[in-house]
Amino acid sequence: MLDHVNGVVLGVFVFLFLLVTVLGFAAARWRRAESLDNLDEWGLGGRGFGTFIAWFLIGGDIYTAYTFIAVPATLYAGSVVGFFAVPYTIVVYPLIFLFLPRLWSVSHRHGYVTPADFVQGRYDSRVLALAVALTGILATMPYIALQLVGMQVVLQVMGIGGGSDSWYVNDVPLFLAFAVLAAYTYSSGLRAPALIAFVKDALIYLVILVAVFYIPHQLGGWGHVFSSVSDSFDTFNSENADAIAAGEAVPKGTMPVGPAQWAYASLALGSALALFMYPHSITGVLSTRNRSVIRRNAALLPAYSFLLGLLALLGFVAIAAGVKVENPQQSVPQLFEDQFSPWFAGVAFAAIVIGALVPAAIMSIAAANLWTRNVYKAFINRHATHAQEATQSKVVSLLVKFGALVFVLALSKDFAINLQLLGGVWILQTLPAIVIGLYTRWLHRWAVLAGWAAGMAWGTWLAYGVASPVQKHFGGPLVFFPGTETKVYIALLALALNLVVAAVLTVVLRAAKVDEGVDQTSPQDYHADHGDPGVEEELTPESAVHA
Amino acid sequence: MLVGVLLAPAVVLPLWVSLYDREDPTLAGIPFFYWFQILLIFVAVGLTVPAYLLSRDAERADRVRHGLPSEPAGTGGEED
Repeated sequence: MLDHVNGVVLGVFVFLFLLVTVLGFAAARWRRAESLDNLDEWGLGGRGFGTFIAWFLIGGDIYTAYTFIAVPATLYAGSVVGFFAVPYTIVVYPLIFLFLPRLWSVSHRHGYVTPADFVQGRYDSRVLALAVALTGILATMPYIALQLVGMQVVLQVMGIGGGSDSWYVNDVPLFLAFAVLAAYTYSSGLRAPALIAFVKDALIYLVILVAVFYIPHQLGGWGHVFSSVSDSFDTFNSENADAIAAGEAVPKGTMPVGPAQWAYASLALGSALALFMYPHSITGVLSTRNRSVIRRNAALLPAYSFLLGLLALLGFVAIAAGVKVENPQQSVPQLFEDQFSPWFAGVAFAAIVIGALVPAAIMSIAAANLWTRNVYKAFINRHATHAQEATQSKVVSLLVKFGALVFVLALSKDFAINLQLLGGVWILQTLPAIVIGLYTRWLHRWAVLAGWAAGMAWGTWLAYGVASPVQKHFGGPLVFFPGTETKVYIALLALALNLVVAAVLTVVLRAAKVDEGVDQTSPQDYHADHGDPGVEEELTPESAVHA
Repeated sequence: MLVGVLLAPAVVLPLWVSLYDREDPTLAGIPFFYWFQILLIFVAVGLTVPAYLLSRDAERADRVRHGLPSEPAGTGGEED
């Protein structure tokens, strides 16, 4: 199990890992912690986060194992479609800029803490709110799974686990990382990832800057990287010409050709629309101090996109550097091990693993808050005490991680990006309820629910039917657009059905004069800002939603 | 409205793949496809910053239209 471990790499890695673990547990004492036995303190860090911390928290949602492992892996494997992550992270900020200040205002006026709270208040439907909450919890699991895969890959490259015939040895490091994550999230709540985020970002920036400037320079510049990549792909394509012609192999390329453009654009748009529906993104956004903080962040956060783009290209750099790995996801860690001196490789590995731990913790906390507030308190125990709520959230944050583990073990780990894209198929089905709901109450509540159900069912069915070389089901995010030979992202197809069903049924239900419920919000609520009457300084999850 | 007009290119250009799906012109050996998208990030920032500044004026008008004072009252330090 410990055959090829470099002592220096491991030493530096373990040192940094222990450092953040200590920080994680010590975080319980950070920033006026009185008691962690209530949801406000545990689940939202006391809501004292200003612009600066919010920037780190929201950025942490983007700089994850997704960026370091999943996206470069697709490029390394010659599937340039993976570079859609760049347009995705460009498009997402204007959307945040436009939609989320409205959500901030209405949430702070009415004490909404989760997207499901808003849906409940807007549509007066507990069932619709439940659907939104459960979708959030479900969709978060594969996203956390991606983080676990990222950690596992790094540990394998370090020589800990992996490469063994025994599943036990292979998966031990994964379980270890999982246990550490679970333990400090359980004890410190959101404070842990918020405090660690500083260390994480410092490490990650250091590693990224060195990686994207030093390594290509060592290899003769970006121009050389691109020319060796196209040579390598050309060689592959000509050697496998027969298999490609027979449809048994996929040609490699550096450019999405023809119909692949639609796959590329639809993945970017679908992912951008999905990102801020996730409970953890909304938690981050609602924790900001006022509306303009969100807009300022939307203007500043593209700094992350730039580095994301360069990181994605490390998949190509790995090819140029002659990295040969069976699992494409190991390409970047392997590149680091080959190119960096051992101590810096240790720093880099620690950065990736910590970079996966932080968002995984934030995601599981956000999902747990959804459960406690919109399922447990709304349906199971309406008179729960604060301590009971905190316990629920803590336990559910563990269960969500176990759910993620199931995704890791059940689905192929070769392209973890598919896990995140599967989550996107589900979470996007809450868009009509949330985003359209922010602008108009025209959609009927039961029509929104029916649209959601149709989108979820069809999206899941389509995803189930996608086979890949390594698995029969859930093998990828793309299907043919009905009646064409053009592949598009399943999430957008399902969303289209969702919207059509919602619109048609709205007309029908309105004609039939079916009760549409009472909207608790008023037009003014969508513009209120910090300091206005009725706007809450801090949102507290245990306080009731008020009309 | 003007804010929307400013932000529209930041949404439309990255999704208009056929616009930049080409090898040439290369920049320091990097195909157009790649450097153009990186460039788009800076274009998006260049549009979002003025949109932010404009949105503050638009915000005041919106607030008045919805019966709020043009500026929120103070910093509202007190807890409820």
